[in-house]
Amino acid sequence: MSNHATKTAKLSLKSLLLANPLGFAVPVLVGIIASLAGVALLGVSGWFISAAGLASAMGSALVFNYLTPGAIVRGLAIFRTAGRYGEQVTAHNHLLGLLRTLRLWVWDQRVAKDSANLHEQSRGDLLQRLVSDLDQIIRWPLVVFLPWIYALLAYAAVAILAYFILPVLLWPLAFAAIFHVFVVPYVCGRFASHAVHVGQILGVHRRSRFVSLFSALITLTIRGHWDDYAQRLEQLDERQRRTEIHIQQAVSLGRLLAYCVTIILLASSFYLAGSFDSATGHWALLEGVQGTWMVGFALSILAVNELVLPLVQSFVAQGQSQVGLRRLNQLHQDAQSSSEQPIKKIEQLFFKTWRGYHASSGMGSPTVNMTINHGEFVWIRGISGSGKSTLLASIAGDCLSSGEAFINDEKYPIYSNPMYQAQLSYLPQTPYIFQQSIAANLHLGNPNATDEQLWGVLEAVALADWARSLPNGLETLLSPQGRNLSGGQRKRLALARLLLRQAPVLLLDEPFDGLDKATIETICHSLQNDYKPDILVLVSHVGSRIGDNARVIEL
Amino acid sequence: MRKNKEAKAARRAGRIKTPEATFLGELANQQSSKYRLAQGFGVLFTVSLVLQAWALANVFSDMALHQSFSLSLLLLGLFALLLRALANFGRERICTSASRDIRYGLRRKLVSHLTNLGPARLRIEEDAALSTRVYEQVDALDDFFSRYKPQVFMVTLIPCAILLSVAPVSWIAFLVFMMTAPLVIIFMIFVGHKAAQANRRQFSVLAMLSNQFMDLSQGLAELKRLKKTDEARQRLSDSASAYQKTTMSVLVLAFLSTATLELFASLSIAMIALYLGLGLLEVLPWQVGSSPVTLTQALFLLLLAPEFYLPLRQLGNDYHAKQKAEAAATDLLEILNTGSQDNFEDANQVAEVDYVSSASQLSLLSFRNLSWLDEGRYRLAPISADIMKGERVWLSGESGVGKSSLLHLLLGFEEDYQGQFLINGKSFQQINLPDWRAKLAWLPQTPEWVNGSIRRNLLLGLGSKEGTALPSEEDIQVALIKSQCDEFIQALPAGLDTKLTELGAGLSGGQMQRLSIARALLSKADVWLLDEPCSGLDQDTAQAVLDTLHLVSKGKTLLIVSHDTHPILWADKHWALTKGGLNEQSRNKNREAIA
Repeated sequence: MSNHATKTAKLSLKSLLLANPLGFAVPVLVGIIASLAGVALLGVSGWFISAAGLASAMGSALVFNYLTPGAIVRGLAIFRTAGRYGEQVTAHNHLLGLLRTLRLWVWDQRVAKDSANLHEQSRGDLLQRLVSDLDQIIRWPLVVFLPWIYALLAYAAVAILAYFILPVLLWPLAFAAIFHVFVVPYVCGRFASHAVHVGQILGVHRRSRFVSLFSALITLTIRGHWDDYAQRLEQLDERQRRTEIHIQQAVSLGRLLAYCVTIILLASSFYLAGSFDSATGHWALLEGVQGTWMVGFALSILAVNELVLPLVQSFVAQGQSQVGLRRLNQLHQDAQSSSEQPIKKIEQLFFKTWRGYHASSGMGSPTVNMTINHGEFVWIRGISGSGKSTLLASIAGDCLSSGEAFINDEKYPIYSNPMYQAQLSYLPQTPYIFQQSIAANLHLGNPNATDEQLWGVLEAVALADWARSLPNGLETLLSPQGRNLSGGQRKRLALARLLLRQAPVLLLDEPFDGLDKATIETICHSLQNDYKPDILVLVSHVGSRIGDNARVIEL
Repeated sequence: MRKNKEAKAARRAGRIKTPEATFLGELANQQSSKYRLAQGFGVLFTVSLVLQAWALANVFSDMALHQSFSLSLLLLGLFALLLRALANFGRERICTSASRDIRYGLRRKLVSHLTNLGPARLRIEEDAALSTRVYEQVDALDDFFSRYKPQVFMVTLIPCAILLSVAPVSWIAFLVFMMTAPLVIIFMIFVGHKAAQANRRQFSVLAMLSNQFMDLSQGLAELKRLKKTDEARQRLSDSASAYQKTTMSVLVLAFLSTATLELFASLSIAMIALYLGLGLLEVLPWQVGSSPVTLTQALFLLLLAPEFYLPLRQLGNDYHAKQKAEAAATDLLEILNTGSQDNFEDANQVAEVDYVSSASQLSLLSFRNLSWLDEGRYRLAPISADIMKGERVWLSGESGVGKSSLLHLLLGFEEDYQGQFLINGKSFQQINLPDWRAKLAWLPQTPEWVNGSIRRNLLLGLGSKEGTALPSEEDIQVALIKSQCDEFIQALPAGLDTKLTELGAGLSGGQMQRLSIARALLSKADVWLLDEPCSGLDQDTAQAVLDTLHLVSKGKTLLIVSHDTHPILWADKHWALTKGGLNEQSRNKNREAIA
């Protein structure tokens, strides 16, 4: 458990960068090389051509060393391309690694959540949102962090050139760098990051209102009120549209600003590097400033301009990532101190003034006192809505409860207690079937079960004939949430999975619902013979052989 | 049929246009004036590009040769740069606004189409998935309309303009551009195709991965009980790693082809730079001692060279925008094509003989040879029957024979039926639909709830219109007692103000169904339509709900769809619907059969 600390830490943008520092260093380095090569390509070729022109004008063309600069130009071109390629490949590799880390983080948070509150996050669209948040966040280093580093370093490289040409050029360069890299993105962010946040939240809100309203479409239509409600939906859309306009304006204006800064930088550089010669009406360069170098300088500034333009947009991705992170961090669970106190084999269960209830509504079962001994079968009965299922779930430690539970005469907390739950098998009213093969679903009960054992347990729940009729037998892949199974088949498959666990305590919630008499008989026979548990608690409104021989508790 | 014709026409034109491409094209045409304006800005952009290159080339060459330069030319160059930025700004603003208008218009159209579809929308997908289409998928069109579409124009404009301005300066440079441009385009098509394939494959694997994550997450409670969470974590981790490996091998290839393209552009820029450099030094092998270009011209060419390839490369980057838009268009078209048949036959139907007979004048509802033909298949076989006022009818039959369709007709959501359908002796087309609907109460299999308190849901759509007062607190209590909701609502800590979410806030299915009965009572509707209200409930609960219904629905006209597993013993009539039509079983026979 060395990674336990990282498992439960909150997410932050910094932790994203440091998730795999070595893996991230490669794309950063390669990207820097590519960006600098891109700037140098324009600068050097500008200098090369103007120097060549000058050499030929001076008549010294034949002694001009043209091979080295030519090679450098070609080399830079190759560097730039290869660098971009390398950056893309390594950055995507890093990104996919990050996706894996984040997914596992979400998984860990959800595992740490206690059972009673788990279902509130299990809804389809919420999970869908989590998945899309993840996809949003992993782009952050690529879209925000890297361009920023590239622009900064490109400015540093041009600054070195400027220092050699004329140190005073460093001043406008520094100002421009501050504006390009910090001020303009910051101003745009100030102007629109609120809109980005609002837009993200509105998006979720709009969606849930859509689902909420459309689920009552017919009632609202026949009452003649749909138009009012639809209008509210439209208003939300209109608000979203305004935030979108706001963001797009900020981005466009930011780009224009960035261009203006470049233009001012060029103008002031030329101003500082020369003086007005009133005789010719020309602007002459200062003594000691090489014209050819100035050409290279001006061209590299144009190249840097291309690098800083994406920075303006970065605040959008920044805001989206922040909202995504905040939402993900809502999942965050502090490390739980679950009791690791071992529990001996369950011989007797005693529940004193026991009541199971749901946190959201406070509704639940009546208060009961009951003792269940080794070898005993209990049938809990009651009219619909009397809280049978809630009681069973609380006995299973899956649902909140009040009162005291004694195991073998010793008091234990049983809610969400893994030690306790290891000794029991609980079949809820709607068990979950995974989108895997039949065999894989069954192996969740016992990973070491042989094929014979699997067939045996399928026989016990009267599913063997059905499984044999399938072309792929045990390897048949089940559709999402077991949708290609009937309700009865799903339940029996889940029961088979539980029976493989051979847990001493078996808790069954309506196992016979929708089954015919012969099938019920088969299951009862299995539960009384080969798969007989030490303790069985049954909730059912259907009579069965097991029920007839069990102690009845009427709610 | 229409689609076929369109496809044929397109093929005749020598180009196969997919329905998606046609759809996107039509949407873009809505904003053609904006796109034309954007093209105008594009022209301005190109002109300033060439102007800037020319001015700066002059400044640079003067600077290199004479250590001085003309101020006016510098200002002209900088002004051109500013102009370029402004043109870009304008173009961007217009394109994003065009894209916004298209998307928000389309969204409004989709929502109103879904509203008109009514219950039929669920044939496409469930509401949550529909909301993804209406919001996310429509927004997925953004990049296509705001970037790809205007870029297509720039891709032809800029290289042509540059070629034109280069031609008088240097024939060799012109030829280099001319030769490389088609090669770049061929590469682009090739690369785009490859990248599209890779993209699609990656997309499906990614979807699979998300699916696995969702599946395991939804079954997390089960995994916890089975103590298999660590195994599941391992599975997630393994498949993510495996995905990383396979995707990388695909991406390496995809990027490699893009890189080749980039290299090509870079090298041709370097080639032109080298040619110009050597030319200026007068050491070109074929013309040693003379220079083909002046320094000004050389710099002019050098400044234009990267701009020549830039739009092509951008288009390559935006190519996925097109892919994304076409994928989204498939989903959106599915919505728009559902239930959008034109019903030309309606005109004939009205002219048909009116079946109004004395019998149907007495009855509230009468069907005369009513059927519903959808794409050549009977959704509902022709039926003829009557329901009197105050009669309670149980409709049963296998799934798919049209029980729900009949209810949808009654709700007024389907107009494509054949035969006659009379209400109080009047043809359904002639009655005032809102008046008729106001008489209805609708109780489907899953009750219709909005997010909000129980009270808000009970009063959903009641009152506040045409002077009808909102039911008083007393009315609510009476309705709750009648529907036997009072006990469990009193047990709730927040009572009527308990929030209902899609999860139902801990209420059981039976309790939710009882709440819809209370709502139906409050609405004072005379005609109740029930679509399998008990199918999600266990036997005992279902029976209890049906007993309540029996008591409260006395005096109402009722049409209740229910399977044989949940017989409605107290119904006045039992209709068994089959593929062949309707069999009416008398009340007594019905009871005997059940007994």
